[in-house]
Amino acid sequence: MTDFQALIRLLTESKVEFIVIGGAAATAHGSARLTLDLDIVYRRSSENMARLVSALNPLQPYLRGAPPGLPFDWSEETLFKGLNFTLTTNLGALDLLGEVTGGGNYEALLTYAVKLQLAGVECLCLGLRRLIEVKRAAGRPKDFDAIAELEVIDEERRAR
Amino acid sequence: MMNDNVNHTEADTDIDPVIEAYKKDVDRTLIRENLRLTVDERFQQLMKLQHFAEELRRAGKETESQH
Repeated sequence: MTDFQALIRLLTESKVEFIVIGGAAATAHGSARLTLDLDIVYRRSSENMARLVSALNPLQPYLRGAPPGLPFDWSEETLFKGLNFTLTTNLGALDLLGEVTGGGNYEALLTYAVKLQLAGVECLCLGLRRLIEVKRAAGRPKDFDAIAELEVIDEERRAR
Repeated sequence: MMNDNVNHTEADTDIDPVIEAYKKDVDRTLIRENLRLTVDERFQQLMKLQHFAEELRRAGKETESQH
């Protein structure tokens, strides 16, 4: 099970610059759908990647789905050489994304981020309209249900 | 709390007939209930749902192993 609140609190308290996207962002906006992992877009500055590595180090991050025992060095160098990482941690499944299809990187998404008060901390979450646009841009049929739900959430919020 | 002001400044997207068709199957009562919750409560509910899904998977595996 993924402890979304604990992960977000840890990242925020470690001063990691990130934006919550994907299913967790949908939950924040009011989605009733089940999601199993926390997706974040992280800023790819060397300072931020150092903070991210340091924050997650105690959680023993490992590549999700990879056979146990493979050499995986959780380090700034690994993060720098890669872009997107699907990890399993002691607090659950965490996807670190350097950029997303149709949305770009942290800086590109920042304009569309909204502030969330969650688990006693303030973090950034992708705004509802941009979340819908990013999911549409991905063009995956499996997202049609999720996009439809997000559109309904938008309608309901506007009607309040 | 969400910062709703930011959301309202975002551009609308075009209407997609496929998504419009899917919208008919969305349970609006669940959405309205969720919108009454705080963001923290929404995540607590999600984690309860995760726990329940894991219990179902475990029960399913146990049933499979018995046959």
